[in-house]
Amino acid sequence: MAIFLQLLFTGIGIGAVYSLVALGFVLIYRATNVVNFAQGEFAMLGAYAMVVLTQDLGLPYWAAIPISLAVMGLIGALFNLGVYYPLRHRSFLPVVISTIGASILLTNSVLVGYGPAPESLAGMFDFPGIQIGEVFLDSQYLLIIVVTILLVAFQYFFFEHTLLGKKMQATSQDKEMASLLGIPVARMIMLTFIYSAILGGLAGILVAPILFVSVGLGSQVALKAFAASIIGGFGDVTGAIVGGLSLGVIETFGAAYISVPYKDAFAFLVLFGFLLIRPQGIFGEKVAQKA
Amino acid sequence: MPLLELHGLSAAYGAVEALKGLSLHVGEGEIVALLGSNGAGKSTTLRTISGLMKPKSGRVLFDGKDIGGLHPESVVRLGVAHVPEGRRVFPGLTVKENIMLGASNRPGVSRRELEAGVEEMFELFPDIRRFSGALGWTLSGGQQQMVAVARGLMSKPRLLLLDEPSLGLAPLIVQQVFRIIARIRERGTTVLLVEQNARTALSVADRGYVLETGRLIIEGKPDALWNNEEVRAAYLGGRVTAGV
Repeated sequence: MAIFLQLLFTGIGIGAVYSLVALGFVLIYRATNVVNFAQGEFAMLGAYAMVVLTQDLGLPYWAAIPISLAVMGLIGALFNLGVYYPLRHRSFLPVVISTIGASILLTNSVLVGYGPAPESLAGMFDFPGIQIGEVFLDSQYLLIIVVTILLVAFQYFFFEHTLLGKKMQATSQDKEMASLLGIPVARMIMLTFIYSAILGGLAGILVAPILFVSVGLGSQVALKAFAASIIGGFGDVTGAIVGGLSLGVIETFGAAYISVPYKDAFAFLVLFGFLLIRPQGIFGEKVAQKA
Repeated sequence: MPLLELHGLSAAYGAVEALKGLSLHVGEGEIVALLGSNGAGKSTTLRTISGLMKPKSGRVLFDGKDIGGLHPESVVRLGVAHVPEGRRVFPGLTVKENIMLGASNRPGVSRRELEAGVEEMFELFPDIRRFSGALGWTLSGGQQQMVAVARGLMSKPRLLLLDEPSLGLAPLIVQQVFRIIARIRERGTTVLLVEQNARTALSVADRGYVLETGRLIIEGKPDALWNNEEVRAAYLGGRVTAGV
């Protein structure tokens, strides 16, 4: 039982990171109808921003985190202007190719600066964690879970209870109609990219002490997050969270009870299962189309 | 000076010309119907006025100012609300949220003013009040049409562009919608109405324009248009006793 709970805790912690990146996927997808394949690179850049600030510049964590997030916001804005905006009137495919290109560019730019050897980032707290009975709650995993809960609560409040949130939802549901009502569509999409980049960056910052910081961090997290958003129901916010958490738990249990080398395979086995049996995901079809 | 004037307006979808030098005017306080069959350029006219399409040539004068080619977000701020074909109610937002967002063109509107505006709309459209919390996609076509019109009125427009408000609605609901259109004008809003249902449109309109393939065919008072056998047979769906 103790081992079970310990694994559950770890699984939820890693799943929370997938959820954050998946949320970024979903938000951009809903605002622009395009999948941003550079979403994982936001996580990678966030982690490297921390490496630069804490190790190269020697800043303390409390200063490095807000600076990193601000940098991520700026990257999100530039990403919108350079990768999405010029192609906004084109179809799905050119934009997707553009995001893949951006992903390759970002990965290789970091590779030039930091090389292929992974960096390691210390945990954010000095104390290792809390022991409850036989279960050890690692401080970094606790932090990830708490931050994710706060973010999800913030996001729920923002989208359900503020006018700006409603305008962003309207933009994602029907851009032409939104602009007819006077909603500044381009600004809404800009905000979405900034927020998604910050979300992705935060996921990278949080997960950096657990995984190594390398240029491969982005694709490693993004593939799982992508699978998570499909499992949850692509385009659904709740689905992204539930999908991310379940994927984290499933792969942790799979690794512990079945096979460690196949850890990454479990996530994709679940994905295949969903694509075959319930391709719309757990929360798909919330808004049906009426004839 | 008319509230809206189109001078030799042309617009095209790629190589396909949809409007070919259209001129018309709408006076303050009028209800003007734009009639004609499918592909006559009625919707394109509205889309060019509201900024969804850029004119190829010609001018769109609103209150004397050329608004041709302005972005839709700017046009609605000047006081032109466009309720497009197909109603376009946001499917994932509630009725109340849909209506509230209609005021997005008014900067610095307070929450209280919004609530009061929604309340006013529910008084104008009592049938949708009880669906206040229902998501847009769950509504029937008639309810969606009312939400779409209410949302358009929330911008406090001087000119309301209505595209096919009767499309897909049961005859009884169509009557209801047109009674509301008459009431909107009484509240001081000018209406430019696009309809295929010519008989019903002419029953509330002050004047009508008949278009064919992007050109103006004839303009006149409702009676004159309806009693002109040739026009009625060719462009207005010719039945002498229409269903409404």
